[in-house]
Amino acid sequence: MSFDQSDKTNLSRRNALKFGLAAGVGLTVFGMNARIVLADEGQVLKVAHPAFDQDWSPLRGGGRTFRWNSIWWASPMYFDSQGNIKPYVFTSWESADNTVWTFKIDPKAVFSDGSKITSADVKGSWEVASMPNTKSQRADQVLSKVKGYAEIAAGSANELTGVATPDEGTVVVTLAAADPIFFMRLANHIAPITKASQSRGSDGEEIIDWYKPENKPVFSGPFKLTSIDIDAGKITFEPNENFFGPKPKLARIDITSIEDNVTATSLIKSGEFNAHTELVTSTIIQDLGPEFSAGPLIPTSQHFWFNISRAPMDDPKVRQALIMAVDRDGLFKASYPDGPHKKADQILNSVPGADNSGFEPFPYDPAAAKKLLAESSYGGPERLPKILFVGISAPAIQAAAQFIAEQWRQNLGITAVDMKPQQDAYAGPDQNSVQIFRDDVGTRVPDAVSYLTGSIASTSSNAQNKLGGYKNDKVDSALAEAATKAADDPQRVALAQQAQKAFREDWAFIPWYSQAMSRWATKEVKGLEKNLDWQIAEPWNISIG
Amino acid sequence: MLRYVLTRFAIWIPSVLVVMLAVYALAFYGAGDPIKLIFLRAPGDVAYNPQRIEAIRESAGLNRPFIEQFGLYIWNLLHGQFGNSLTSGRAVWAMVSAAAPVSFQLALCAIILTAVVAIPLGMIAALNQNSRLDYAILGSALFLWAIPAYVAGPLLMVGLIVLLPGASVPYGWGGVFDVRILLPLLVLSFQPIALIVRQTRAAVIEVLSEDFVRTARAKGVPEIIVALRHILRPVLTPVVTQLGLIMITIVNGAIFVELVFGLPGLGRLTVQALINSDYPVILAITLIGSFLVMVSNLLVDVLYPLLDPRANDSRRSR
Repeated sequence: MSFDQSDKTNLSRRNALKFGLAAGVGLTVFGMNARIVLADEGQVLKVAHPAFDQDWSPLRGGGRTFRWNSIWWASPMYFDSQGNIKPYVFTSWESADNTVWTFKIDPKAVFSDGSKITSADVKGSWEVASMPNTKSQRADQVLSKVKGYAEIAAGSANELTGVATPDEGTVVVTLAAADPIFFMRLANHIAPITKASQSRGSDGEEIIDWYKPENKPVFSGPFKLTSIDIDAGKITFEPNENFFGPKPKLARIDITSIEDNVTATSLIKSGEFNAHTELVTSTIIQDLGPEFSAGPLIPTSQHFWFNISRAPMDDPKVRQALIMAVDRDGLFKASYPDGPHKKADQILNSVPGADNSGFEPFPYDPAAAKKLLAESSYGGPERLPKILFVGISAPAIQAAAQFIAEQWRQNLGITAVDMKPQQDAYAGPDQNSVQIFRDDVGTRVPDAVSYLTGSIASTSSNAQNKLGGYKNDKVDSALAEAATKAADDPQRVALAQQAQKAFREDWAFIPWYSQAMSRWATKEVKGLEKNLDWQIAEPWNISIG
Repeated sequence: MLRYVLTRFAIWIPSVLVVMLAVYALAFYGAGDPIKLIFLRAPGDVAYNPQRIEAIRESAGLNRPFIEQFGLYIWNLLHGQFGNSLTSGRAVWAMVSAAAPVSFQLALCAIILTAVVAIPLGMIAALNQNSRLDYAILGSALFLWAIPAYVAGPLLMVGLIVLLPGASVPYGWGGVFDVRILLPLLVLSFQPIALIVRQTRAAVIEVLSEDFVRTARAKGVPEIIVALRHILRPVLTPVVTQLGLIMITIVNGAIFVELVFGLPGLGRLTVQALINSDYPVILAITLIGSFLVMVSNLLVDVLYPLLDPRANDSRRSR
């Protein structure tokens, strides 16, 4: 057998030319495709959406799809990007006793088919959002104090008995207990106003897919849904020509699911997309410029919460040592050196009472921390059980958690630290081991009491789950008393500040950062300012160029 | 053959039941309560009302005992009902039937590309054993083998943007004749091509030493005829077996490719279902995956006699 192998490794000139031609054809095809895409632009907002969501119902009250509710639905009132409350479907609100509230509907308020928005639509929208099958994640936050809500939420009724509709332009709400800031709770899109006869079936439940174009829905917001391909992750909105507010400036809004952050960044850099629902990468500033993620601080903050019922966090000296051993300036620099967020020293931010609150920042004192650990019931780092974090998912979070672990190693000699991404691991196999939860807390109303009630009151999810059943009577009583004060009563803020100071003495968290509400849009996009509810405050003002 | 196929189905059913029981148990007892996840994922002061969550769980039938839920699932399955997604409420069958064609088309294209590229390259490498061309082909195959899809995808995409300013990012699905399929197809084919190149090369080298090849050459049969008629045919049997197995891994393993390039296939759906602990969807995908394994193995078995008549003879002799 003999094979002549002498010439087989050489590339002939002819073959080289053929290869070059093939490469040229390939590149041209890609180039043509690029031109086709770019020619399609104009006043079209192209949004990359980071999840392949299968449910775009506006009644869900949470999740990423919820962040686009304001473009196609109207709410009773809304907060602008400066935190000022503005009328929308409701033009006025009043209450003599903070228990019975009367709201007037704008006579000009109409749906996209020109029909009037009535009090029955408002009541029906709230009712369907309250039904358990609707799976609204935050109907509680808005409506929990309304009479009849508890029965609906538990699945034993389907009517909000506390909502009366004396005429089609008036809604009267009776609360089970006085709430001076009830009007603020309504100023968002958690339970947007839909045409109740379309969104709600005869059994009171939400009609599946009622909002899809094939069901000919009507909309109350500045844009209307014109196409949706859930399986491909594409959704399109066009202006609602009958919108009762200002005329929208955009010709179209296209939202496309793009789960991969590298792809999304590439698409935005190449100009094929100009906005994103939530793009959080450690190099976002370098990739897309500071304007892309710039934004005002909102009442939300991220911290590392200690489960005080689990060893070794059940020893206050250990907690104190762990907190004092971390240089929090370094912690912030390790995670968001270029912004857009701001280092946090306390829980409250961007609400009345956040400044000059009297909360003294936790000190960084490695020597004192070491001494405290030695004085603790564990006597030092050797006898501490392994410390387990959860919620360590995105790169910036990983950087922060690793910084903390390194500080503990250097300053306290602790080496056994483990980190897991699952946020809900306390419900899973690690539930008996996790001591630290990285998570955000916040409020959707600019109110210190609401902020702390959802963070440190013993009734909050944060206290019950992440802080391990945390309960401090001083905190609870101060917040309970504060909740009875009017929104503009200085005592309301003072009591909230007291509660926060009382919480400090329990050494139960490592403060990390106060959150900026990023635009996540290129600098060419104007008017995309968001409010404290992550919604675009005035979507009719968005324009490009 | 029909009896053989029926026997295979009979064996497949209990195997799938065991797999599904395991998957259901993992989803049921593992971390990630689907209803709790809906609430935990929303930022800020999510209203965490245990009574409300319990009411939602009850309405979704999730508070029943494990065996009751699993039994009901299997019962519904026997009646052609795949159930509804726990998070979106959509029919699982509609979700899967929208995603599966994309994955299958992509996998089929990847298999064709793999066969068209890798088998000739493997043969060329073997016929030029230990030459520079052989080393180049083998080296390239090793290089491709070493790059995982989740690295190759973003790298190629970013590279395309850097090298070709103004070029569009190949994102989304427009069918098999759309230019956007090129990059995902390449990424998906890298490792299969590397595998088949090496396997073809090894098989050809083995066949080259067979008597019938030597005889053909001694008779003065042209080299191209020897390669195609005498060498390729016996080599194809193990290679086709491997291609069948690769088809399964491509469909099941296209998760990163589908995520990076925005292809609305089973991989993308799987990730979404896993994130949401949406176990009716996970189970449906598992069922399809195991069905695919069985069908691929069957196809390979059926193809054996066509490629190598000796396989048919041996079966008959049993």
